[in-house]
Amino acid sequence: MSTVFLVDFNVLKPDLGLIFWTLVIFLLLYFILARMAWEPIQRALRKRDGEIQTALDEAATARAEMQAKAEENQRLLIEAREERTRIITDAEKQGKEMVAAARNEAREAAQKVATDAKRDIENMRKAAMVDLKKEVGTMAIEIAEKIMQKDLKSDANQEAFVKALVSDLN
Amino acid sequence: MTLRARFLLLCLCCWSFVAFGQELNDRGMAGDHGAEGDATEVHMSCDSHGEEEYDPAGVILHHISDANEFHFFGDLTIPLPVILYAPGHGFTTGLSSMFDHGHEAVDGYIMNHGRINRLAEAPAALMEGEHYVECIKHEIVTADDGKSSDIYSARIDGEQYILDAPSVGDGGLLGGGITSFYDFSITKNVFTMLLAALLLILLWGAVAAKYKKNEGRAPSGIQSLMEPFFVFLRDEITIPMIGEKHYERFQPFIMTVFFFVLFCNLFGLFPIFPGSSNVTGNIAVTMTLAVIAAVVAYVHGNAHFWKHTLWMPGVPTAVKPLLTVVEVLGLVIKPFSLMVRLFANITAGHIIILSLISLIFIFGQNGENYLGAGAGAVVSIAFTMFMNCIELLVAFVQAFIFAILSASYIGAAVEDAHHHDEAGHHGEEKVAEGGAMGGAVVGMHTPAT
Repeated sequence: MSTVFLVDFNVLKPDLGLIFWTLVIFLLLYFILARMAWEPIQRALRKRDGEIQTALDEAATARAEMQAKAEENQRLLIEAREERTRIITDAEKQGKEMVAAARNEAREAAQKVATDAKRDIENMRKAAMVDLKKEVGTMAIEIAEKIMQKDLKSDANQEAFVKALVSDLN
Repeated sequence: MTLRARFLLLCLCCWSFVAFGQELNDRGMAGDHGAEGDATEVHMSCDSHGEEEYDPAGVILHHISDANEFHFFGDLTIPLPVILYAPGHGFTTGLSSMFDHGHEAVDGYIMNHGRINRLAEAPAALMEGEHYVECIKHEIVTADDGKSSDIYSARIDGEQYILDAPSVGDGGLLGGGITSFYDFSITKNVFTMLLAALLLILLWGAVAAKYKKNEGRAPSGIQSLMEPFFVFLRDEITIPMIGEKHYERFQPFIMTVFFFVLFCNLFGLFPIFPGSSNVTGNIAVTMTLAVIAAVVAYVHGNAHFWKHTLWMPGVPTAVKPLLTVVEVLGLVIKPFSLMVRLFANITAGHIIILSLISLIFIFGQNGENYLGAGAGAVVSIAFTMFMNCIELLVAFVQAFIFAILSASYIGAAVEDAHHHDEAGHHGEEKVAEGGAMGGAVVGMHTPAT
C-alpha cells in the first residue's frame, strides 16, 4: 500500500497524441456530420415547420371561410324565413282585405237593393194611396150623388140638408 | 417493436454490470497472482521490494488511464496500431502486439503496463531492432526538493535502463513534460473516439437519409427516435442560449459536441472491449473539446462582446482596467471550467465504481478470506449497480451541461448590443435561471467533482 498516493495519475496529464487525435476526430466528425446530417436535418425541419405553419394558417383561413359561409347561409336562411313569414302575412292580410271588401260590397249591394225596394214600395204605396183616394173620392161622390138623388127629392130634406151644411160651415 | 427494444436494452444493461464485475475480478486476480509469479503482467516487475499486497489505487489508476491495447485478463489483449515518433529517430509504426506485453523492446520502445515507454540513455544498439526485456522495475525516487516521482526501468541483458513516458502537454507541472518521444498511437481512447464518431456518422447518416426519403411525410423509424434529441437541443439549448437570430449557425456544432461527449461517456460505462476506455475522463480530451468550444465562441465574438471584455463601457474609468483583468481571466476560466467539470465528473464516477469493486479484494484479503470476499462482492455489486445507474444519468447530464455551457459562451459572444447591463456574465445566469436541469444538476454534481 506504500504506493497509494504516488501512483501515476496520468489522466491529469494531457497526452499530446490524445490531444492531436481528439482534435482530428472531433473536427472531422463535425464537418462530416454538419454536411451529412445536421444541415440537411435542420433544413428539413425548418421546411417542415414552415409547411406545418402554412397548413395551420390555411386551415385557419379555411375555417374562417367556412365560418363566414355558414354565417351567410344562416343569414340567408333567416332572411328566407322572414320572407316567407312576410309573404304569408301579406297573403293573409290580402285575403282578409279581399273578404272584407267583398263583404262590404255585398252589404252595400244588399243595402242598395233594400233601399230601392223600400223606395219602390213607398212609391207604389203612394201611387196606391193616390189611386185609393181617387177611387174613394169617386166612390164617395157616387155615393153622395146617389144619396142626394134620393134625399133631395123632397124640399124638407133639401132644407135640412142645407141647414146641416150651413151648421158645418160654422 | 418498442417492447423488443426495451428488452434488448435491459439485457445489455444486465450484461454490462455482470461483465464489469468479471473484468475487474480478472484484473484483481492478475494482481494477486503476480506475487506468486504467475504468467501475468505483474511478473514483469523485478520485484525488488516484495510488494505483495493488492494495490487498489494502482489498479484503479491503471484502469482509468489510456493504454495502447485493450486488456482483458492475463495476456489476452486486443492489439491496437502504434504510431510513435522520436525526434532524431523518426516514426515507428506497428501493432501493439509486437511488444509482446512488455517482453520485447522494439526500436527502444517497451510496453509498460499497457502504455508504451522508451528507453532513455540506452546505447544506440538497443534503440534499433528487437531485444528481449527481462523485467520492468518500479521505484519511487524522492528528489532533493521532497517531490517523489515514479521511475520505471527495464532490464535488458542484465542492465537497467530508465524508461521515458510519452510526451504530455502539462509543461512539466504534473511530473510529465516533453520527453524523448511522442505517442500518436491509436490508443484505447482514440479507438473509442473513432468508434463513437463512426457510430454517430452511421446513426445520423441513417436519420438524415430518412429525412430525404420521408420528405413531405410524417417522420418514421429511427428518424422519429432521434428527431426529439435534435429538437430538444435546438429548443432547450441553442435557441435560449444563442438566440433566435444566430442559433442556426451553431446548432451543428452544439449537436456534435453533445453527441460526441454523450457517446464517449456511454462507451466509458461499457466495461469491456468496445468500451472500457475512460475517454471523457481524460483531461487531454476534455481540454481539446473545451478549447474548441472556446475558440468557436471567441472567433465569432462580435465588437460588442470584445468591447465588454476588454474595455467595459458604462463603468467608471478607474474600474475599467480591473474589469478587463477579470474578463480576460474569464476568457480562460470558462473553457477551463468546462474541461475540469467533464473530466472530474467522469473520472470520479469511474474511480467510485472501481473502488467499490476493489472492496471485494480488500475484504477478501487477497483471496485468503473467502467469506470477506463474498460479503464484499454482495455489497460492492449492489453499490456498483447503483453507481452505474447514477453514471448513466451523469453521462447524459454532463453531455447536456457541456453543450449548454458551450452554447452559453457562444451566445455571450454573438449577442447583439441591446441589453447593456446584462452582458458579460450572461451565460452562467441563463444556465442558473433557464436550464430546466442545468443549474440543479451542476449543483448536484459538485460533491462528486
